[in-house]
Amino acid sequence: MRTMHLAPSAEERATALLLYFGVAITAAVIFAAPLIWSIIRSFQPAQVIGQPLSAKDFHHFIFGNYTGLVGDPTNIMLHVGNSLIVAGATAILTAVVATLAGYALGRPRLHYRGAGLVFSMILVTLMIPFQAILTPLFLELHAFGLTNSLFGLVLFYTTYNLPFGVFVMRNTFTHIPQAMEDSAAVDGAGVLRTLFEVLRPLVVPGVATTVLYAFLFAWTEFLGALIFLTSDSKLTLPLALLNVESGSYGQVNFGYLIAGAVIAMIPCVVLYVALQRYYIRGLMSGAVKG
Amino acid sequence: MSGRGVSDAVHSARRPHRSPRSIAGARAGWLLSAPAILFVGAFVVFPLCFAVYISLTNWPLIGSYHFIGIRNYIYLFQDSTFGQTVLFTLEYTAIVTVPILLVGYGLALLVRANRPGAVIFRTIFFLPYVVGLPTESYMLLLELQPDSGAINFLLSRLGIASQSTAWLIHSNLALIAVSVLVVWFASGLTMVLLMAGMQGIPRELYESTQIDGASWWDQEWNVTIPLLRGTIALSLIISIIGSFLAFTQFYILTQGGPGTSTDTVVMWIYQVGFVQLHLGEATAMSIVLMIVVGLISMVQFISLRAGQEQGT
Repeated sequence: MRTMHLAPSAEERATALLLYFGVAITAAVIFAAPLIWSIIRSFQPAQVIGQPLSAKDFHHFIFGNYTGLVGDPTNIMLHVGNSLIVAGATAILTAVVATLAGYALGRPRLHYRGAGLVFSMILVTLMIPFQAILTPLFLELHAFGLTNSLFGLVLFYTTYNLPFGVFVMRNTFTHIPQAMEDSAAVDGAGVLRTLFEVLRPLVVPGVATTVLYAFLFAWTEFLGALIFLTSDSKLTLPLALLNVESGSYGQVNFGYLIAGAVIAMIPCVVLYVALQRYYIRGLMSGAVKG
Repeated sequence: MSGRGVSDAVHSARRPHRSPRSIAGARAGWLLSAPAILFVGAFVVFPLCFAVYISLTNWPLIGSYHFIGIRNYIYLFQDSTFGQTVLFTLEYTAIVTVPILLVGYGLALLVRANRPGAVIFRTIFFLPYVVGLPTESYMLLLELQPDSGAINFLLSRLGIASQSTAWLIHSNLALIAVSVLVVWFASGLTMVLLMAGMQGIPRELYESTQIDGASWWDQEWNVTIPLLRGTIALSLIISIIGSFLAFTQFYILTQGGPGTSTDTVVMWIYQVGFVQLHLGEATAMSIVLMIVVGLISMVQFISLRAGQEQGT
């Protein structure tokens, strides 16, 4: 390694690149294979899935697992709908509440006494695991008639997405140059008009990050939904699959289970791949700023 | 939100009063923060205080309750199942934490320098984290089936395990299976956190050591790792807290079985509180869990601050 003080030769650089591709491609195969494999499995008939693997099982594929999930007893579309409602409403509510709070906490014009305390209080929430206050939350939501309710679940999910959302939105607003806001004030624009007409294009990336996080959190959340939802018709998708797992008459249909898992996976993959710029940036801003 | 009210307040305050803009601005700031304060107050602060109260009672889901002081906490330390779930959760945490860090670090090394294809690789490495543990646990459940699952098929071809290994009815095998699942799931998150930290290290620091003839490994050890201490601590804390709160993967794959041998702390809280309906006892356990997680978070803050004071 004594030669390192010279610039690496073309040969060394080519070796390094080759090594990089070799390792990276191997790792990528290991990371992606289980998900791709599950998609392939979901098109196999259930009786084939229940038998030892053999090459001849990969000659004919069926949609039966998907069409079977649509009817009784699973009614998958109902649960996909529940999940879409809960995740969509959580994303919108989180974005609205976090944007307003981020606006108030990020702009000097809106500074008020106690703003720092409010921001700290919201951030401290990040340290409180919701897993540890499920009993009081259940009793509280129950008292308001909000257990076994998609709306109650949305309130719960929104709360636990707010710390990150407010953090991201406050950062976003802090980085807007003062001149933008001043010119709006000269035109006589009020606080909300300034937000909607002048600042909006500048905060869209932050909102996208917040929406994406809240949506994916709500789409994949399991424990809260398990506790707060009780009737079958209200279950979100991850919980509905639990019923598929326990099976009807003690018989698990693995074809249904794997097809349902693939359905649950699709929105995550599509949203993340399409919007990963916002996802990764949000995570990185959190990491760098501690 | 009464949008009209906010903008009216600002407009009326524009008439020359005592620093009218700052007063109106402050009022608008309060109004805009109010929804967030309300959410956090109603669904974090209130339940937190309520939890302390519940933990001091013998609260059943239905019917009357009375105050029993710290008896729930005393009972907690006599409850051998609670102790066993704590040990199991610690064991699980100890198994997955270092592999997640090492795999995450390795992945970050691959994608940090923006070599060709790095964005695609990064996307793939992070995908398991995005898809989420419930979905992936269901997928694994299918492939862990004795005789028909792909895992036994692969391992028997490699001569490691037999085709009919029943992973989920032996607690040690189940723990191994879940741990591998979680390392695959969580490494991408550590990768992104470390990558962010690595990209923040100024290039000149590497260039100056290159002139000194330092090898790649020397640079990594003497420049990257010391400067990344804060980020490494952050990703360790995130993964440790995540492991402490493990629930979904065990609930779906083992239901805590055989017996209660793969019950995590959160699963036991769920069992006692929402299956046996002993809410007081479950809440006392929750508070102990919260204090432990809070202490870990505090260690994070202190270590981060120490890191910042050293100029890293």
